[in-house]
Amino acid sequence: MSDVTLTIDGRRVTVPEGTTIWDAAQTLGIDIPVLCHDPRLDPVGVCRVCAVDVGERTLPAACVRAVSPDMEVRTDTQEIMAHRRVLTELLLADQPAVSQREQTTGDDKLYALAREVKVTDIPWPDQSERQPRGQDASSPVIAVDHQACIMCDRCVRACDDIQHNDVITRTGKGYSARIAFDLDVPMGESSCVSCGECVAVCPTGALTHQSLATTDAG
Amino acid sequence: MKQFADSTNATFSDLTETATLCPYCGVGCALNYGSDSEGVIHYAKGRDGASNAGRLCVKGRYGFDYAAHPQRLTRPLIRRDDAYPRGPLSTFSRANSSGPRKPGGIVDYAEVLPHFREATWEEALERAASGLAKVRDTHGAHALAGFGSAKGSNEEAYLFQKFIRTVLGTNNVDHCTRLCHASSVYALIEGIGSGAVTNVVRDVENAEVAVIAGCNPTANHPVAASFMKQAAAKGTGLLAVNVRRPGMASYCEQYCQITPGSDVAFYNAVMHVIIAEDLHDQAFIDQRTEGFEALAKAVKPYTPEAAEAMTGVPAAQITAFARRLGQAQSAMFFWGMGISQHVFGTDNARCLIALALLTGNIGRPGTGLHPLRGQNNVQGASDAGLVPMYYPGYQAVSDASVRERFEQLWNVSLPEQPGLTTAEITHAALEGEIRGLYCMGENPFLSDPDMNQVRKALSSLDCLVVQDLFITETAEFADVILPASAFMEKRGTFTNTDRRVQIGRPVRQPPGQARQDWHILRDLAQRLGHDWDYADESAVFDEFVQAAPLYANLTYDRLGEHGRWYPCPDANSEGERVLFGDQFPIGRGRFVPAELGQAPDLPDDDYPLVLNTGRQLEHWHTGVMTRRSRALDALAPEARVEVHPSDAKRLGITDGSWTTLRSRRGAVEVQAHITRDVALGTLFLPMHFREAAANLLTTPELDPFGKIPQFKICAVALAPLSTPLTPPQPDAVSHAAG
Repeated sequence: MSDVTLTIDGRRVTVPEGTTIWDAAQTLGIDIPVLCHDPRLDPVGVCRVCAVDVGERTLPAACVRAVSPDMEVRTDTQEIMAHRRVLTELLLADQPAVSQREQTTGDDKLYALAREVKVTDIPWPDQSERQPRGQDASSPVIAVDHQACIMCDRCVRACDDIQHNDVITRTGKGYSARIAFDLDVPMGESSCVSCGECVAVCPTGALTHQSLATTDAG
Repeated sequence: MKQFADSTNATFSDLTETATLCPYCGVGCALNYGSDSEGVIHYAKGRDGASNAGRLCVKGRYGFDYAAHPQRLTRPLIRRDDAYPRGPLSTFSRANSSGPRKPGGIVDYAEVLPHFREATWEEALERAASGLAKVRDTHGAHALAGFGSAKGSNEEAYLFQKFIRTVLGTNNVDHCTRLCHASSVYALIEGIGSGAVTNVVRDVENAEVAVIAGCNPTANHPVAASFMKQAAAKGTGLLAVNVRRPGMASYCEQYCQITPGSDVAFYNAVMHVIIAEDLHDQAFIDQRTEGFEALAKAVKPYTPEAAEAMTGVPAAQITAFARRLGQAQSAMFFWGMGISQHVFGTDNARCLIALALLTGNIGRPGTGLHPLRGQNNVQGASDAGLVPMYYPGYQAVSDASVRERFEQLWNVSLPEQPGLTTAEITHAALEGEIRGLYCMGENPFLSDPDMNQVRKALSSLDCLVVQDLFITETAEFADVILPASAFMEKRGTFTNTDRRVQIGRPVRQPPGQARQDWHILRDLAQRLGHDWDYADESAVFDEFVQAAPLYANLTYDRLGEHGRWYPCPDANSEGERVLFGDQFPIGRGRFVPAELGQAPDLPDDDYPLVLNTGRQLEHWHTGVMTRRSRALDALAPEARVEVHPSDAKRLGITDGSWTTLRSRRGAVEVQAHITRDVALGTLFLPMHFREAAANLLTTPELDPFGKIPQFKICAVALAPLSTPLTPPQPDAVSHAAG
């Protein structure tokens, strides 16, 4: 396999052919924000937060797009910043007021991104009151809050491709689309083995640990 | 307009993440515990360890809260004078107390604690030391024995065996490896000269096929299982052989369900086909092995047709299995308790070793022998000499020159006589030959076969010192209970199933006056006149490395956060993943033929079914830890005996209904779970639940070589429980504790 040389934010970098823009940027220490991608998973490019400018009509997702020779990538233009910010606002529009993830492991990636891009107002409709997406507390160890789910697909891939338990899937259409377990049964009744990989990869408060910090006497 | 509300939680921004390990199984997953300044652990996160690549299973992810359980022992306890003569203290331990109306869950402190009084460390250590010394002075050193633990660190294992050998003066020291892979280790040392794995789990990705024999990795080594499943997704052909359908069977090319105890016949037939169809690796056999002719002769009568009658597996399936394995360029062999826990466990393991030698599948990437080790440090505890026949590093006690070297190193004179193994110690106690026992982190009352005999053995002792986190069933018999430290409270090295030596680090303090196990050992040794002085755990490790050349080139500094494999050829090496590329420690590998043996305690008209015992995903061994983990207890609160639907129908048993399960030694009452995972005529009962204690039923017969009990076969009768029942009220039992 041959190497490819490109420019990211004005800096030259040479990487093996087939490398994604996101991975190439990492080698330069440029951290392109991303929600749906995790280096342990095959990229799917659904959250679009990592979109970059490569001089095309549209903004490709850096986590999926492979580098090409002499590509000129910008990750920090005004357009990119605005794009990221609007996407973040849209994702936050129907999020619960308090992130359960900030309350349990303290690493909500969506909230961290919101702080990074300095979101204050969210000028988009909040559908959660009219059409709440629901919770599932049937598992003794994993709390599911569909309201916080951004359908990034990380949990589905972690369950299938990392732990190979093949429990989580997607169901529904449009706004009612959500993740589901087995043939859409409550998580606690599904074939889930509670390995918690889905919680580990979830970027929001959609999949979190039930609190374990205290133990009752009995 | 909605505003973005920053919901950062101050507690979680202040958490410290400590790089340590999972305390449960032999996979040895690296993880971070996120803990606050009070030492409260809030979460476990997978770390990029050599054996887990960031993955964890339910036990590692959610089972860490046992250390903070309110029942932790915080003060030394001494048995009150009116609690003698020695015996069990709880209703459960006193008799065959099993079933829906009987105490379940963990030891009932309200019932047991009044028989003990709190003591100072000074008094408790004096009582322990003088009790052991008195037995030694009255009955001789060989009337003493020690059970160490594969849950402790290498340093603790090393010091425990040193204590028993040098301070007490006997080789009667063993631990739960005897209940686990002792037969595999015997066969491996005999066959290739090394008892550890020859290749790491994750190399399964380079294997063309992998044999998953007598093990259930999705339940017992879940993270290792995820790498096997991943390999299968990328083309590795998994071949499972078992009496009970393992979860892995769904990912396998072929699953052969053999009848209980017929392993030798199955593998001999596989070897028969491989030799008959010229699929063996003649070059490897010529260059690297000896004894092929005898093996070929021994497997000759095991035609697939003959084996079909013995194993219940159709001859065509055996032939297909043999061809797939024989034609593969590389194959790995994983096995577990289904191979080892038999009176012919050593023979079973000999067959797998022979199969690997026959097909030339040792010493290259994607090949190798891998007995999946159970406890997080069962490999290390054995390496550290926590076994009666070897000093640290598998150096034979019976070898005079080795003994001389250890006498110099430890500056004492050492006993010549090799010691007794776990079950032999129990049997010797029944004969009155063992009078005093020191148990550090073992719970033989529940873990050893034939509980009624163990009860008698423990009751008959003159002195029992128990060092543990909780009052265990075994501790009910103790003179002195010493409160010890949990995994997440100590620093030490742990050696996983892959031979990787990694450091575990403390994230919390032991509660109350509970102490580091190695401090307790050191103080007892000093009290008994031995000048033990170690600056810290790393100094103990350095002495262990000096004693065991197996661990050469390893130090705390070099292990760092990620650990290394042993053997480690030089100071800069990561250690060796794949062993024996050129030759075996004994030169040539040895084929040791095996004949199909007959298990004791077979079914008859009165006891028509075969009971298999083992583990389940959410629990660990005698349940001392996992049943005190809120999450794990909630996920799997009760024992179920697995019954085949046709047996259930015939016996009038429905899913969830109560049954009586009776063997020639005892009976338990337990709910049924109807599943086709078990074959017709066989049952499965997990070992973790004392209210349906599998070891009330099991037979005490041992493998003659590995001295491992036959946990996998005992004849039982199953019947619906006749009287109408009120379901148990857990609140009434366990809340009393506090």
